[in-house]
Amino acid sequence: MQCNEKVTYRKPMRLRILPVLSVCIFLGVWQLCVGPADSNDWRIPGTLLSSPYDILSLMFDKLTNPAPDGAVLLEHAWTSMQEAFLGYVLALIVGLPLGLAMGWFTTVRGLVRPIFEIIRPIPPVAWIPLTIFWFGIGLPGKVFIIWLSGIVPCVINTYTGVRMTNPVHIQMARTYGASDWQIFTSICVPSALPMVFGALQIALAYCWVTLVAAELLAADKGLGYLITIGRMLGRTDLVMVGMVSVGIAGAIIGFIIDKIESRLLAGIRR
Amino acid sequence: MQQTDDCACSDAKIAVRDLTKMYGDLTVLDKVNFTIKRGELVCIVGPTGCGKTTFLNCMSKLTETTSGNIYIDGEVANPRKHNLAFVFQEPTALPWLTVEENVAYGMRIKKVPPKQLRERLDMILEMVGLEDTAKLYPNQVSASMMQRIAVARAFAVNPDLLLMDEPYGQLDVKLRFYLEDELVKLRFYLEDELVKLWQTLKSTVLFVTHNIEEAVYVADRILVLSPKPTKVRAEVVVDLPRPRDFRDPRFVELRRQVTDLIRWW
Repeated sequence: MQCNEKVTYRKPMRLRILPVLSVCIFLGVWQLCVGPADSNDWRIPGTLLSSPYDILSLMFDKLTNPAPDGAVLLEHAWTSMQEAFLGYVLALIVGLPLGLAMGWFTTVRGLVRPIFEIIRPIPPVAWIPLTIFWFGIGLPGKVFIIWLSGIVPCVINTYTGVRMTNPVHIQMARTYGASDWQIFTSICVPSALPMVFGALQIALAYCWVTLVAAELLAADKGLGYLITIGRMLGRTDLVMVGMVSVGIAGAIIGFIIDKIESRLLAGIRR
Repeated sequence: MQQTDDCACSDAKIAVRDLTKMYGDLTVLDKVNFTIKRGELVCIVGPTGCGKTTFLNCMSKLTETTSGNIYIDGEVANPRKHNLAFVFQEPTALPWLTVEENVAYGMRIKKVPPKQLRERLDMILEMVGLEDTAKLYPNQVSASMMQRIAVARAFAVNPDLLLMDEPYGQLDVKLRFYLEDELVKLRFYLEDELVKLWQTLKSTVLFVTHNIEEAVYVADRILVLSPKPTKVRAEVVVDLPRPRDFRDPRFVELRRQVTDLIRWW
């Protein structure tokens, strides 16, 4: 126990100070370089870049003040997260079983692979016009775009995971007379699990990135919409509040998934 | 193909008839013929590259044979119908299952009822000395234990035919290294365990090895294969009492005899 603590404690000392230092220096330099909107000296005018202080104070203001875009910050964040999670969960529900089945069953691979390979290179953003025709700018349209972007890594990762199954394990199961379905459920799926967890991470990242892109073009609420409104009003600070919020929310989600994954995988891999 | 060959006589559990395997023009197995009696432990030895693995793969139906057939109880062998088990040379314990779940894997596939499964599992785990490690995962046990998991899993399904492809081949070098000066009875520790399992469960075993000493130690009968195209060159009956002592002059004589048969060409 003691030994363990020492090992895990020593390294983070440096890792704990340096990140704080780098963030402080970054923010400090940024703050110094940004001047007021009409500044004529070497500093960057506030119309092109907002200072960290301005962004932070606007963020606090936006927590309670719906003007000028019609909703408070948490409302935007909540809308975005709803869309992202809905698309994400739907992508998992369809993508994981599909990828697993494609890895093992030749019929499924033969049927799905060609279509998948053609749809895969189309960027999800390219679907936006069609989506607006079909669903309008409400929730379903954005969920559809996010679903499209999340399903690709789900299928590819789980497919690869199944294909990487140790062939000796499959032979072993065969000699015991296991059916194709038994081999699939008892050998291939457990073998693919680490790759499936990888898919959960990657798909979420894809979903979040696409969400902002989708909202930039078609939305009436959400963090991406906040950025668009900021641009239309010429409010640099509002644009940057949106950007920073997207970054923070994404980091928080990634952190949570990381925690869940390490706990679940610990149970599977020991 | 379902007809009973007249050679598949009644006391023969396994009958191999004109088993031939060709990869393109290369004949690997050339009309291999032999029978195994019920409850017999037969060893197959042969020079390296003589197609031992191909032979086992044909026996277990992992590979299609070019011609000829394998009969179990007079019927063409079929892994879905007959009870086959195969112990591979490389470790095949599934890393996501505990030792106990691994040993039970074959029985699960064959849908053995839970109560019977539990009884057999406890018996086998005790026989191979894995009860204490039953709840551990394979990466927490030693290499020889990994192979015992595979052997236990194979015996647990009560197979009609148990095929073993040099199961201790990757372990014996290490064992020998430090056992040479140790107590003699430790020498074939894993093989002793195999013989004990085989005697208790009365299974029919086909054991492939390149280690002649090991073959003479465990086998009722040894089949010596020729180099490619492989045929059964000779058959040596080992009628030594068990447990065997590898310093026994008759043991040494048999070992020499088998060695000469392999070197014959």
